[in-house]
Amino acid sequence: MAADVHQQIMPLERKFSLQDSPRSPTVLPWDRFSNWLHCACVVTFDLELGQAMELVYPGHVKLTEREKINICYLSFPDSNSGCMGDTKFHFRIRQCPGRKNHILAHDDFNRECPASLQIDNAYYYGYVYFRQTKDKSIRRGYFQKSLVLVSKLPFIPLLEHMVEIMAPEYFDNGEPSLEAACHDIDQWPEPTPGETLNLPLMGSVVQVRIPSRSDKVIGAVQTKTHTVPQIPVNHVLQSIHETDLFSAFQPVLQHLQLMWELVLTGEPVVVMASSPTLCANAVQALVSIIWPLKYCSDYRPYFTIHDSEFKEYTTKTQAPPAVILGVTNPFFAKTLQHWPNIVRIGETSGDASPRAVLKLKKSSSLKTLDSKPGVYTRYKPYLSKDKTILKRLSKGIQLKRPVEVQSAMLRRFLLELTQSFMIPLERYMASLMPLQRNISPHKGPPVLKPFNVEEFLKTLDHSGPQLTSGLKGDWIGLYRKFFKCPNFDGWYHFRQKEVNQKLQALHLEALCKEDLVNWVRDKQEVEIVDLVLRLKDKMISAQNNDIPVSMDIVKKLKCHLHSIISSLPEDLQSVLKTHL
Amino acid sequence: MYEVTSVKEVKVCLLGESGVGKSSIVLRFVSDTFKQGLEMTIGASFMTKTLVVDQQTVKFQIWDTAGQERYRALAPMYYRGASAAIIVYDVTKRDTFDAVKGWVRELANYGPKDIIIALAGNKSDLEDLREVTKKEAAQYAEQIQAIFIETSAKNDSGIKELFTRIISRLPADFSGKPKDGHQNAKKLHEKEEKKGKCC
Repeated sequence: MAADVHQQIMPLERKFSLQDSPRSPTVLPWDRFSNWLHCACVVTFDLELGQAMELVYPGHVKLTEREKINICYLSFPDSNSGCMGDTKFHFRIRQCPGRKNHILAHDDFNRECPASLQIDNAYYYGYVYFRQTKDKSIRRGYFQKSLVLVSKLPFIPLLEHMVEIMAPEYFDNGEPSLEAACHDIDQWPEPTPGETLNLPLMGSVVQVRIPSRSDKVIGAVQTKTHTVPQIPVNHVLQSIHETDLFSAFQPVLQHLQLMWELVLTGEPVVVMASSPTLCANAVQALVSIIWPLKYCSDYRPYFTIHDSEFKEYTTKTQAPPAVILGVTNPFFAKTLQHWPNIVRIGETSGDASPRAVLKLKKSSSLKTLDSKPGVYTRYKPYLSKDKTILKRLSKGIQLKRPVEVQSAMLRRFLLELTQSFMIPLERYMASLMPLQRNISPHKGPPVLKPFNVEEFLKTLDHSGPQLTSGLKGDWIGLYRKFFKCPNFDGWYHFRQKEVNQKLQALHLEALCKEDLVNWVRDKQEVEIVDLVLRLKDKMISAQNNDIPVSMDIVKKLKCHLHSIISSLPEDLQSVLKTHL
Repeated sequence: MYEVTSVKEVKVCLLGESGVGKSSIVLRFVSDTFKQGLEMTIGASFMTKTLVVDQQTVKFQIWDTAGQERYRALAPMYYRGASAAIIVYDVTKRDTFDAVKGWVRELANYGPKDIIIALAGNKSDLEDLREVTKKEAAQYAEQIQAIFIETSAKNDSGIKELFTRIISRLPADFSGKPKDGHQNAKKLHEKEEKKGKCC
């Protein structure tokens, strides 16, 4: 028993120790770091320059001028909202195109993670910890500085936890603490979906579980890690991606389903709030309102007038883009007046009394950021409201139920709603699959039948959302609107790719089982060469992990290929072999 | 399979001047190897090691801090919440022993209450170059009620004893948690809550 314990722990020690087992020659310093972070930045206020980049760590990391400017402006509260003390929030920026910093671990992650957590290479997140305190020794009278962790990972709670540990230490002890923290991160294992990881950082260990595509969606709220912690853990993060939905939505809870429809159908939405923390949390909550469906348009948890996409996103010469923006500057109330959907989040006051029902107002009546919390829109929801969930939540407020529990209830409700909407689509998609018997080694791999909207809508009569949801309303209208938005395209292409890969794999397996050498015996040379070339293509795809098959199958295929080639005339053999 | 053994989880940090051999002690303890001229530690290194002593399983979470002056101010992060601190000096360098007193003072003022202090005089293999006598160090250790041992990471002398002596000083009721191979998620969660209450 004791010996067992010992052995269990060994792989972990190997992962964490530097000197103990020298890194494999392919792992260079900072490789592991960049699986998690792109860099850490320190942004300060310079009397002459305004916000300025004081430090980028590690020093060799490259950011373009535009990225630096965006990071600088987004790392400070935009309006003079009096964020005294410490403020935590996050933002999202576009990565400047044309740069190659592809990370292999991110490909591996994307293959196995839930679709909505996939890393989008075109964007960076910035996780900010801003400190503002009075300091008479500084000419401006204030100490104002931000530590920003720049990362591709959409793990909001984890990265916020990290910046919360790192920033105060940095403000107290300066660069050595940043070095120490980044060095710790450079020892971390890869973010492999499905694994529970122990991540040492600045004297404590945080334990996280990386979600996997094969996790059960329903019930996931309750499912916790099944792995016994192998080392003393100081902090267990319940989730690396789920944020506190309840607190984020509390001022506008009455409009929960309206917001769900807006996000589902890819409507432009702007969130106005008094602080970057509130607006970032609300935007993030909106994006995850349709989980497990992936929100496919751009979103900016915190957006300022200095952002390089400011003009593009606020122009009045064309319709507002289908994006979600979070803003705090009162200036936006005017600039974005023409936006069709405005979510106004007030200060979450400590009192737990349920707010009065807020009427939907015409967005044109919204002049300033001082307007009351609410959703200002002309959008008419397709579905009727589920009053039960609102009652349960407001009961929870009265009973002072913990926000974690409220959030879990809310998440559950939204998940079931999204599933009711998606199940008919998934079912229809499955019906587009070719039959197993149509997979023949002597033909090309079969393809998915095309998606036909009208045909799908016909299926709703007998297997529509009414099977799983009691909500009445114009579901068909909602589907039609959904089909026109990027979320549908994103979902459809993801499924299509998945199915085609599966079909390719099945086809490959069928090829392997077939006695090809026997089959080619009475075939024309042209046909055989054609087969050889097709097999080669497949092998390359399989080796690049584009087709999910075992290496065993690939090996068998290689064997077949060799035998077929050796059955050909010698001159042809040499030509084909050189291309192998 | 359902045999239950108690597991102690222990956070330990190593403190001491640069070059006294903190990382070498850890390397010897964790993977039983020794390397001349280890690279300088940045901030701190983290390693784990499980020891089984008298049917008792102890999991060490070891934070090996950097000795360089520039990282001096970070030390509190590493001894925060630690059950034991190992202060290492080099028996061939008088000033590294003098520096021990600074660490002892700091731990007394800012360290966790009841932290176990162990004094390790490393490089005991270099008898010819000795500048700190065993007697003097032992007396000092007794005075501050610390564990004292001379070690040689190079010759593997005293290293395991150093850690087993720390184990023997742990209070009997020290967070001994039942270990269950089939421990489910809910139990884990409860454990966390309990932890929160007692701290």
